[in-house]
Amino acid sequence: MKQSRWDVWIGRQPALFALILLILALMINLIFQPNMFARETLNSNMRVFLPIILLAVGQAIVILGGGIDISVGAIASIVNTVLATRVGLDGSPAQLWQFVFISLLAGLLAGAINGFFIAYLRLQPIITTFATSFVYAGLALFILPNPGGGIPANVVSLYRNTTPFSLPLAFYIIAIVLLAWMYLSSTRYGKFLFAVGGKADAAYETAVPVTWVQFSTYVISGFMAALAGIAITMLSGSGNADIGGPMTLNSITAVVIGGNALSGGVGGVAGPVMGAITLGIIQNIISFASIDTWWVTFVRATIIVVALAAPGLVNLIRRKWS
Amino acid sequence: MKRFSVSPPVAALILAIILFLLSGLLPQGFGSDLNVAQAQATNIVRLAVFLGVIAAGQTLVIISGSEGIDLSAGSVVTLTAILTYVIVNGADARVLPALFISLAVGGLVGFLNGVGITYLRISPFVMTLGMAGVVSGAIIVITHGNVSGRVAPIMTRLIARPLSPNLQIPNAVIIWILFGILMWLLLERSTFGRNLFAIGVNRVTAKLSGVNVTGTNLVTYSLAGALAGFGGFLLVGNTGVVHLQLGQPFLFPSIAAVAVGGTLLSGGKGSYWGTMAGAIVLTLITSLLTTMQMPESVRRMVLGGTLLILISIYGRQRSLRQ
Amino acid sequence: MAELLSARNIVKHYGGVVALSDGNLDVHAREVVALIGANGSGKSTMSKVINGVVVLDGGQLLLDGHPVYFPSPQAAKDAGIATVFQELSLIPQMTVAENIWLTREQLNAFGVVDRKAVHRRTEELLALFEGTFKTGLHPDAPVAALPPDEKQIIEILKAISFDPWLVILDEATASLDSRQVQRLFELVAKWKEQGKAIIFVSHRMEEIFRIADKYSVLRNGKTVGAGNIKDIDEKQLIKLMIEKESALGFLRGEAKSDEKIEPEISLEVENLTTESLHGVSFQIHKGELIGIGGLRGQGQRQLLHSLFGDLPYTGTVKLFNREVHFRHPREAMKAGFALVPGERAREGLLYIRSILDNFLLPSWRRYGFPLKISNAKGDAAQVGSSLNLKMAGLEEPVSSLSGGNAQKVVIGKWLMRNPQVLLLDDPTKGVDVGTKAEFYALLTRLSEEGKTILFYSSDDEELIGLCDRVFVMHDGMIQTELSGKALTKENLIAASLGVSNRGAQ
Repeated sequence: MKQSRWDVWIGRQPALFALILLILALMINLIFQPNMFARETLNSNMRVFLPIILLAVGQAIVILGGGIDISVGAIASIVNTVLATRVGLDGSPAQLWQFVFISLLAGLLAGAINGFFIAYLRLQPIITTFATSFVYAGLALFILPNPGGGIPANVVSLYRNTTPFSLPLAFYIIAIVLLAWMYLSSTRYGKFLFAVGGKADAAYETAVPVTWVQFSTYVISGFMAALAGIAITMLSGSGNADIGGPMTLNSITAVVIGGNALSGGVGGVAGPVMGAITLGIIQNIISFASIDTWWVTFVRATIIVVALAAPGLVNLIRRKWS
Repeated sequence: MKRFSVSPPVAALILAIILFLLSGLLPQGFGSDLNVAQAQATNIVRLAVFLGVIAAGQTLVIISGSEGIDLSAGSVVTLTAILTYVIVNGADARVLPALFISLAVGGLVGFLNGVGITYLRISPFVMTLGMAGVVSGAIIVITHGNVSGRVAPIMTRLIARPLSPNLQIPNAVIIWILFGILMWLLLERSTFGRNLFAIGVNRVTAKLSGVNVTGTNLVTYSLAGALAGFGGFLLVGNTGVVHLQLGQPFLFPSIAAVAVGGTLLSGGKGSYWGTMAGAIVLTLITSLLTTMQMPESVRRMVLGGTLLILISIYGRQRSLRQ
Repeated sequence: MAELLSARNIVKHYGGVVALSDGNLDVHAREVVALIGANGSGKSTMSKVINGVVVLDGGQLLLDGHPVYFPSPQAAKDAGIATVFQELSLIPQMTVAENIWLTREQLNAFGVVDRKAVHRRTEELLALFEGTFKTGLHPDAPVAALPPDEKQIIEILKAISFDPWLVILDEATASLDSRQVQRLFELVAKWKEQGKAIIFVSHRMEEIFRIADKYSVLRNGKTVGAGNIKDIDEKQLIKLMIEKESALGFLRGEAKSDEKIEPEISLEVENLTTESLHGVSFQIHKGELIGIGGLRGQGQRQLLHSLFGDLPYTGTVKLFNREVHFRHPREAMKAGFALVPGERAREGLLYIRSILDNFLLPSWRRYGFPLKISNAKGDAAQVGSSLNLKMAGLEEPVSSLSGGNAQKVVIGKWLMRNPQVLLLDDPTKGVDVGTKAEFYALLTRLSEEGKTILFYSSDDEELIGLCDRVFVMHDGMIQTELSGKALTKENLIAASLGVSNRGAQ
């Protein structure tokens, strides 16, 4: 039961693994894309990565609190279909803001429903959010049965080309999210989050409001998923009810390679953000590596599985060594 | 205090009958004419066979506990259905090799799931979801987007047709009943089955009682994969055609069927009889929605809602405060 | 500060099981009340009622004569009630300081936790137990890396950190060594002077008589006696706890002698080493009942689990002069080993499965395919009745059994295999006195039948009364071996503390 010094040290640097992986991916990507740090390339890469980054942040907070949220992709889909159908290609800015606001409320509500079932009715997080993901995906499909709709083109191009101080807009959004997390994690709520994810029974006996904390993590995740949905819509300019679904697994993968334990209570948010960027860069590399078109899906999926397996592999090898 | 108790399989069967009778009240429902009703009922059970067989593997992994689940089942069904279709290509002689290959390929995917889950400690949900992507990728690699083949006459005769013209019981149902008996023998009358329940309840106790936990788990996932493979083989024998999304629609209902049948989603308790009854209930619900011409979106929401209600009834975890 | 907390006619059910039917307790400030009872008598439930962890089904709590109701642990805390839990309430991934101050972190103006202040106040608390730590305990150490006794101390510090008026010590001394217990008792004396009240829940008579002012005895969920500790002795207390006094008749006493029972060596261990065992060697003869003693956490568990193939080790183990090295419990089981693990619920039982399933788990393979269930049932019923197992039927879940009967199922599943070597990890922990007596008789009988028994117990009386020889472990090694006339309580305690007989001269 005693942990070695290495374990303790690694336990305190959960994001280190993610950082090493990120640097590695960056170096490989640089070979394929020598101009990747040029403003334009950087901006176009980052705005593609942003949705997964936002989903990963929400996912990370739920996982830190001892849960998991399978419905994040479906929530992002709802937001995407709402914006694409209600704002429309010729919508006014006022309409856009109105529905961005409504989208955020929808995300909070979807998260609150998850949280209600899991925290207050005490259902298993995985299976519950799996069920709600079906409900939410159905709702998105109901709102927009066939891909289409959209938001005004000028909004899309404004979003794409805004680079304050020559840095991608995504950098600012990531910075705000990380600052918010730094603040949150050093407040009492942050301690509660780690306590609930670490050992819920013990936290309850210590008078931590366990149910409320669990509930809140799903609300946060719903909110982040709505932000991701907005980012997706801004990026693509159109609507598709199935756009978010496949992103769920990526958000979990980002959290895993970000160094957070899926069992909860260990890690942070910076690691998952780096994990999400790493995943994005890997996708980049695949598209540059001139792989046969028929193989791309297989290679992507295999890389995801290998990424998920990486922490386990490292552990297995270390156990064999010692 | 005498407890009021109906075993879950019986409860599910009663639910199926009530649903069937209620559907008679709907304008486009079943059961308005006795002969029609009988034919409808037979048809529903026949359709339930495929869901039931696919849900067999799901039952095993869910009983194995530790959040056991197999999300790759849908892709595996598609893969083995396509393989069977291509290999058989109309020849009766190639049916047995195709069956063998379906079982082997399914078993291999399941084995890989098992390796990831047991040795690399990846959560079953995440591992099998990732594997679903890999299998989907493999399907694209194998088919290059289009498949050409044909099922053999003997398959249609053995699976889709009734036993004899006088006795209107489809062969598939007979196969299912025999299959059910084998599953019962496996779960209730074999050492493997007893060990499976044991690891589902408590893996530490199981190990300290001499159960090979890792081995049992690995076999369970391999078996689940092989059973999904068998499901693909049966399914193509019934439909006679394949497409790239053939198995996917069975995934969510297969999990819901297990839950309806009263198998604890947390593991360690359950039966295949329950899953069979659950498969009938789920098929009935899906058929009803189809008959009522509900769009895909509503179908998804109803399925998601069904599972949500089920886990709210069966899946409550213990309260922090007693 | 409050002066008096009373619990009146407390009723609490868990499902269909009655944990408390008429619980009563009075605790005054400046007093230590010992809450005593056999296991399953409702002691822990009583503390959980007082600290708001469970919902009452009946009865009333009174604070200074006024009815109070605690809807949550927080409410009880607000009323100045702190609990040192038996099952630790610490978050392993968090640091010592974070754990102690959880929910009461000092915040600065922005709502951010003031780490410096928290650190300083943690150091002040740690100073209370200074000198009794085995590791360089500091506020930023993660709790997961601490040994059990230090976790327990953190638990104690956490409870007193908000200056409660009532402290509930629920088996708080169980994992502490004698120095740490001594320090705790000094603190308790100080708390009394400060006007605090203490509820002391313990099994250890010696500690109860050392520290308590009052006693209150629970039996089967009812308070059956209370008064001043001065007016009662150990024997009378035990009489209150159990209905019959028979349990104490287990001592083999006179029958025990220095001469060896059988000359044949059954189990020989040489230089067994793991992460926490530093070279353990011994020989056991066929039919010997060997005790393992020592303070908690000195490697006893690791020794038993290594022998059973559950933990990797280096060194040689010989069974009847044939070398064996088990890499999985399955191999050990096949060679005739059996392990009754220390944590019944977590390691020994399949809670939601039937008694039959639990009995047969290691033995199913014997019943072929398809399994001959009726044969299996017959065999299980036979073992059940030989153990005097009280059950409604083999199909009932194990969760329907009391602690003692559940432990019989754990032992019974091995008896079905007729093992040659029995390894037992504190098997009488949490078992009522009546069942204990049955276990003693069973172990004696088994050793007379020629089984080799290696038996760790946290109860010194048991070791002295039951065993032929006792290996006293300290820091992963066998410090001393005691047998015959040397097997006395004094020697056992001295050896436990790491003072070897030779070293003491």
